This record gives sequence, structure tokens and C-alpha cells, in this order.
Amino acid sequence: MELKLIESLRSINKGVAIIVGLGLLGCAGFVLLDIILRQVSSSLGGTEEIAGYAMALATSWGMAFTLLELGHVRIDLLRSRGSSFIRALFDLFSMTVMSAVIVFIAIKAWPVVARSIVNDSHANTPLETPLVWVQLPWFIGWVWFAIMSCIVTLAVLSLIVKRRHAETENFAGAFAEQDMLQ
Amino acid sequence: MIGSVAVSLLALLTLSIPVGIVLFLLGFGVDTFFSNFPLSRGLGSLVWSSSNSATLIAIPFFVMLGEILVRSGVATRTYAALDHWVSWLPGGLVHANIATATMFSATSGSSVATAATVATVAMPQAEKLGYDPKLFSGAIAAGGTLGIMIPPSINLIVYGFLTQSSIPQLFLAGLIPGLALALMFMAITVLICMMRPELGGTRRTFPIAKMMRALVDLVPIIILFGLIVGSIYRGWATPTEAAAVGVAGALLIAVAFGGVSMSMISQSILGTVKITSMIMLIVIGASFLNFTLASAGLGRELTAFMTDLGLTPLKTILVVVVLYIVLGFFIETLSLMVVTIPIIVPLVVEQGYDTIWFGILMIVLIEMALITPPVGLNLYVVQGARKSGTLSEVMLGSIPYVCMMLLMVVLLIAFPNIALFLPNALN
Repeated sequence: MELKLIESLRSINKGVAIIVGLGLLGCAGFVLLDIILRQVSSSLGGTEEIAGYAMALATSWGMAFTLLELGHVRIDLLRSRGSSFIRALFDLFSMTVMSAVIVFIAIKAWPVVARSIVNDSHANTPLETPLVWVQLPWFIGWVWFAIMSCIVTLAVLSLIVKRRHAETENFAGAFAEQDMLQ
Repeated sequence: MIGSVAVSLLALLTLSIPVGIVLFLLGFGVDTFFSNFPLSRGLGSLVWSSSNSATLIAIPFFVMLGEILVRSGVATRTYAALDHWVSWLPGGLVHANIATATMFSATSGSSVATAATVATVAMPQAEKLGYDPKLFSGAIAAGGTLGIMIPPSINLIVYGFLTQSSIPQLFLAGLIPGLALALMFMAITVLICMMRPELGGTRRTFPIAKMMRALVDLVPIIILFGLIVGSIYRGWATPTEAAAVGVAGALLIAVAFGGVSMSMISQSILGTVKITSMIMLIVIGASFLNFTLASAGLGRELTAFMTDLGLTPLKTILVVVVLYIVLGFFIETLSLMVVTIPIIVPLVVEQGYDTIWFGILMIVLIEMALITPPVGLNLYVVQGARKSGTLSEVMLGSIPYVCMMLLMVVLLIAFPNIALFLPNALN
């Protein structure tokens, strides 16, 4: 059950990552257009601001995909010397700590959004973007990441309890950059 | 405070907690034990402001550029073309390895991607042509590290962001040392192969007409590099804008070489998102740690610490170099760089050194970390592409190149102008 759950989370997050990536690609196109227009006539304006928002959103929404693809760098020095049980314990510990930190960040991200709502804050730029438009999806991205890490942690815990610890390696193990590149 | 942070850093890293998370934990620790007012209250705004950055979006752009080039088969053509141009030297194809790695460094921002690309293309040739597997694979692992030195470099963007120094200046500063390292790698290869010709395989010469035809495959990459770097220095574009130009250029090259497909685009996009988030978790963590350390009075403590030690500036730099070499055995490039910046950079600047110059010195040191065992990512990447032989062969083969990097460290300390000449001249 745990593995099936992780598999479906993986495909959902792959979809999210494709959207994020297309957004980044679109942003690159937008910046390019601005450079060309600047040479010909006048600039569109606001590209810097939009690029910043794109980066903030890409960061918060891409995190969960990276987590499930084992992309967040860990130092594997001690862990790799243990048996599969020891490795699973390392992973459980690291995932628990990670979930706690991410949940904390998500909680602390809310006041940023709340303040923008209460003050009806607008960006201090010519575009005068209402900040809540960007900060709310940014905040939800962190909440999404927090939920994903908690689910992964619970999946690892449940597999360890069921003595199927060898199976955790595949979704909570350490850095698999080499697989990524092939 | 410095001591406790350093010890906790190493302890938490060994526990295999993700590097970005370790940085947040240290920030919470500094907040709890060393600060008079609660700093975590600002966590949300800090996470927002450090990711809402038009500078940092250059990172996904440069990653995407590299992903597109790597996945579209451009590397294979580049390698074949460079083979025509450099294989007459003693050491033959080994030079093509270094030259291809250098060229890809110039366009892509990542060392590992560069090493993986060159390794995949080159390895089948090594066995066919009777090269010494050690030197051959060591050259790829080492050549691949140049990716973070020769602009555009993602690591230099992160360094510039965290130390608030100019990214165009850092890019300029990295150019000469990066190219010099590539030449030094080739020089040591020639030297080794002249003393032990059996290591170098067959030297090959090609007719001029063929060499000229091979140029066609090199020109697009050279133009792309010129476009990115040129537009930054001419003041037409910021590094971010240049990166966007680079993405478009890479797509054009991929289309021209017939390497574009739906699956290649989606693989490039997924790779970009994965690497970007990985980098950003570490960068945001480091921004938070930076903020807590500065608020808790790191500056004052560092000054006191250095006065107590009574080291001269030169001795300080030597201590720092040794520290990086030792840490480099165990920690990888970006992590090593980011976890040390909050403490080491203020310490070095305090001694009167230039931030830009130190950025370049640090890059050479973390390049070395990429190919020093037991943890040296490029060694594993090259070994992964070989599918035969042992990892220790790659390690042994890298030794001559590690020596060249050490020589570069010495040169940079003795003649800081190797890095600072271009930024000063064009300022």
C-alpha cells in the first residue's frame, strides 16, 4: 500500500513539476521578448518582478517533486555503511527532522500572506501587483511540500514497523544523482 | 558561537539529514542559544524574500540550457569535432575529453552534468583505441569540474547572491583561471604521455579539410557562449537575461541538430525543476543561517576570534585552504560552498581579502572536492558511465589533475590578479 501511495504521489508531483518547468520556460520567453523589444522600441517593464515571482513559485512547488525523486542532497558517509535496517532508520530520522522543519516553515509562511491580505499590500513597483496573488500560491506550495514530507515519513515508519525496511530505500534513500543523469 | 556552529554542522551532516535542512536547524540553534530576540519570527519573510529573486532565476535557466544541450546529442558532435582538432597532441583523445568538458562548462552551469555527458560519449572510444583507462577517465572527471569555474556558473551565482557581490564581476574573474586550468590539464597530460607514451593511445592527425568541416559542429556552441558572456559584459543583459537568451539558443541548436523530441523536452524540464529545487532548499537554508549569524553578532565574534589567533592574513588563507581540502574529502561542491560561506567569507574579508577573488579561490577548492575520494561526485559519475574497471582507477587517474588544481590555488594566492585582472580592467 505504501509503495502504491508513493508511486501515485510521484506521478502527481511529476505533473506539478512539468507545469512548474513550463512556467519557467515561459518566463524565459518573456524575458527574451523584453530584451528584443528593448532594442527595437520600449521595454515591457516588470520582467524583473515577474521573474522573481516565477522563481518563488517554482521553488515552493518544485520541492516536493525533488523530495520524491530523492533530489535533496544528503551526506551519505555514515549511512551507506549500515545494513538496510540501519539505513532505513537513518532515513526515518532524517525524514522526521525534515518534515518538522518544513511544517515549521509552512506555519511561519502564513503570517507573510496574512499581512498582505490585512494590509491589502501591493508590490512597490509600476505593476503594483497585489502581493496576495503570488504569496498565496507560494504559501500553498510550502504546505504541499510539508504534507508530502509527512506522508513520506509515515510511509517509511509503516514499512519499518512491518519489517519491510529494504523497500524504503527506493523513495527515502540518499541522493541518486547518477540515476537522474542517465 | 563559531565553534558550536561548526561542530553541530558536521554532526548533523553525518546524520545524513538533507543539507538544506541542516542549515535551517543551525539557524534555529543560533536563534535559541545566541540571540537576544526571537529571529525565527522572521523566517517566513526570509523564505519569501530569498526565493522571490530575479537574480536566482538564472539558476533554472542555466540548468535548463545544460539539460537541453546534454539531452539533444550536441555533446557527441562536439566531442567528435574536438577529436579532429586536438588528438595530434601526445595523449590524443584525452585532450578531446578535457576540451569537450571545457566547452560544455562554458555553456552549462553544472560540473556533474558535464562529466556525465563527456563520460558517456568518450568511454566507448577509450577501449577501442587502447587508452590507459586511468588517465582517460581521470581527465573526464577533472575536466568536468571546470563547469563551475568558467562562466556561466551556477555556483558563482549562488556565491554572488549569498555574499552580495557582483555576479558579472565573478563571471569575469572566473574566465582566466578556468581557461588556465584547462590548459594546465592539457599540459600535464602531454607531459605524462611524453614520459610514458603507452598511456596515451594513438595520436591521430586529420586532413585540414576534415578539420574545417568539423568546425561546423563547434561553431554553434562557441556562438552561444559568446552570446551569453558577451551580452553580460557589453551591458546589454543581466546574467538572468543572458541565461534566458542561452535557453533560447540551446533550443535552436538542438532543433538545428535534430535532437528535439517531446520526451527530450519533458526530461529536460523535469531535470531542471529537480536540480533547481535541490539548490534552492540549500540556498534558502543558507540565507536563514546567514541572517541569524549576522544578527547574533558573528562579525564581532569573528574579529575577536581572529585577534586571539593572531594569524597573519596569509596564514589565515592557508588554514582556510587546508580546511577546504579536508572538508572536500567528505562534502560535495555546492553544499560545501554554501555551508561554509556564512562563516568563512566574513573571516577572510575581515583579513582584507577581496570577496570576488576569494570566490574564485573557493571555486578551485570545491572543484577539487568533486574529484577527491571518498566522496567525489564526478568520480562516481565517470565510473557509472564506464561500466567496467574499478573506481580506484578513476581516482588514480585524477591525481595529476588534482595536483594542477593545487598549483592553481598557489598561483591564485601568489598572484591574485589572475582572477582580478579582467574585472578590474573592464570596470
